[in-house]
Amino acid sequence: MGKVRVLIVDDEVDFAAALAERLQLRGFDAQAASGADEAVERIRAGFAPQVILLDLKMPGIDGLATLTLLKQEAPPFEAILITGHGSAGAAVEGMQRGLFDYLVKPVDIGELVEKIRSAAASGGRAGRA
Amino acid sequence: MDWRRPVLSRSLLLIMVCVALVPLGVAASFGYFQFRSLVNQEEMNHLRWHGERALHSLEMYLDSLRHGVVETSAGYTVAELSDQERLARILSRLKEEHRSFVDLSLVDPEGIQIAYAGPYRLAGKDYSASPWFNKTLVRKVHLSEVFMGFRNVPHFVIAASKGTAQGTWVVRASVDAETLDHYLKTISSDLLDDIFLVSDDGVLQSSSRYYGRASSGFALPSLPGKRGTDVARVMRGGEAVLRSTSHVQGTPWILVLERGESRLWSAFRTQLLAVSLVTALAVGLLVVGMAKPLANRIREAEEARESLIKESEHTGKLASIGRLAAGVAHEINNPLAVIKEKAGLMKDLVDLSQEMPHREKFARELGDLEAAVGRARVITHRLLGFARRMDVRLQQVQVNDVIREVVGFLDREAMFRGIRIEQALDAGLPPIESDTGQLQQIFLNIVNNAIDAVDRGGLIQIASRRADHSVRIDVRDDGHGIPAEIRQKIFEPFFTTKKGTERHGAGLGLSITYGLVKKLGGEISVSGAEAGSGTVFTVTFPLPPGEAGSGQSG
Repeated sequence: MGKVRVLIVDDEVDFAAALAERLQLRGFDAQAASGADEAVERIRAGFAPQVILLDLKMPGIDGLATLTLLKQEAPPFEAILITGHGSAGAAVEGMQRGLFDYLVKPVDIGELVEKIRSAAASGGRAGRA
Repeated sequence: MDWRRPVLSRSLLLIMVCVALVPLGVAASFGYFQFRSLVNQEEMNHLRWHGERALHSLEMYLDSLRHGVVETSAGYTVAELSDQERLARILSRLKEEHRSFVDLSLVDPEGIQIAYAGPYRLAGKDYSASPWFNKTLVRKVHLSEVFMGFRNVPHFVIAASKGTAQGTWVVRASVDAETLDHYLKTISSDLLDDIFLVSDDGVLQSSSRYYGRASSGFALPSLPGKRGTDVARVMRGGEAVLRSTSHVQGTPWILVLERGESRLWSAFRTQLLAVSLVTALAVGLLVVGMAKPLANRIREAEEARESLIKESEHTGKLASIGRLAAGVAHEINNPLAVIKEKAGLMKDLVDLSQEMPHREKFARELGDLEAAVGRARVITHRLLGFARRMDVRLQQVQVNDVIREVVGFLDREAMFRGIRIEQALDAGLPPIESDTGQLQQIFLNIVNNAIDAVDRGGLIQIASRRADHSVRIDVRDDGHGIPAEIRQKIFEPFFTTKKGTERHGAGLGLSITYGLVKKLGGEISVSGAEAGSGTVFTVTFPLPPGEAGSGQSG
């Protein structure tokens, strides 16, 4: 079993890049995308993420819309929503749309790693559903 | 505000005095004038009645005198009347009937008094030029004005003409003015000040108490009508008196009666004045006594109103501060996340590299950086929580669940600080109608406050139970306690004791909590033994009407 493939979609490029690098240091195959469009590009370019981290608030296509979009483009994956404080309502809605889990920003790296591992272990259930 | 106090008190005093005394004054003046007009009318009628009675009596008297002279003139011949001795006898008979007569005489057609009986020596006097003589010839019977005449004593004459073949003779009798005075006195009454006669041309015919003796001048301001009695109010030496005037029929005289102000009226005026003064004094004392407490009351009410306005302004400010803070917190959260990840990445890299100058120091500094970001995160979360004081959305809420969630949220921090949180929650607690989010905020604030209040190793106990018609939650800590004098102020906005500590806040926590509890229809109070032995925050929320009556109490 190879590295777990993770795609981070966040308009805050610095955040996404740093998080991707940190995850790489922890043995993940992590890539960053600044929005839904770039995420689609990467997937079309052959990157098949097992876990996608989605920022809830993005200009244009937001996290939940991106989730819907990527479900059509990508092979089965699990999604974890990263929200700001006090957006639990959106998270609950996301859970109903097949989110694996959600985290509140700023995230604790240890917690995130754990969630990614368990998402990867569950093996793209969302995609198949 | 204080500068207004004396003004308020004074104007209040003025208003109350006016309110109390103006009606009193109006009533008193109304009574005064009403009664005065009544008394006046009554007195005028009374005086008129007196005047008419006196006039009638005087006219009867003069008529009888006139009648005496006319009878004498008709009853005797010129020859009989010319005889001096006979005339003396006739006079004495006349005087038996009319004691007023002084003398009796016969005047021949030429005006020479040819016979005289009486105390004076007037036989042979020539009256041809006297006004009374000529008037008698014209009118047949005449009553003269009072005059001095040859005898030099004030008197008046009653004369009757007697026509014969030789010409018109005149029988004449006189009456002293003194007799007239005497007569007027007898028909006077205690009520009257003065009664006298005055001639048409302004000469006193009898003596007056106020205007002089007979024959002195006295002009009436206006003459009465030919018939009846006129009553008017006139001034007599600075005093208002009532005067009745009436013509005496068949004479050139006017009968005048005067009476001063009645005792009834002056007594009423004195009483009215006394009652008014006493009442005014009593009202004045009462008003002075009441004005100050009343002014205080008004001032207190105004202060309460102002503080209410301030409070609502403050609440408004808090709401806008809240919205602003939420916006800022949202914006700051993103760069915070970037900082945290960058710092995390750097820390990762430092951890991975074996050889590196200042490796330990870098690791430590980056740890501090992460901790600082953590603190900033706590602040932004609090601000966001503060902003979430939105409209109340009522639903069935299990208070115990809310408490468990809140404790779960704070557990880590409590553990980190070595604080134990114990829960004694009544499992049979009925649900209340409330807003979960806001209840969370309330308990989060109270428990947070308790965490700040206790030292390491401290204990926080949270108990829920059902009270009479409400659910009651006690949050007890064994911390520093709150001194009694501060206890009153802790729910005020921006009041804080957490100075200089790491967790010190804006001093909004408890005031927000207070506002939230009130908004949800609950009550919050703080109690505690002396400072140093802990604090108990007690929150109660009412049960819905259906639940309130049933179940155990206490």
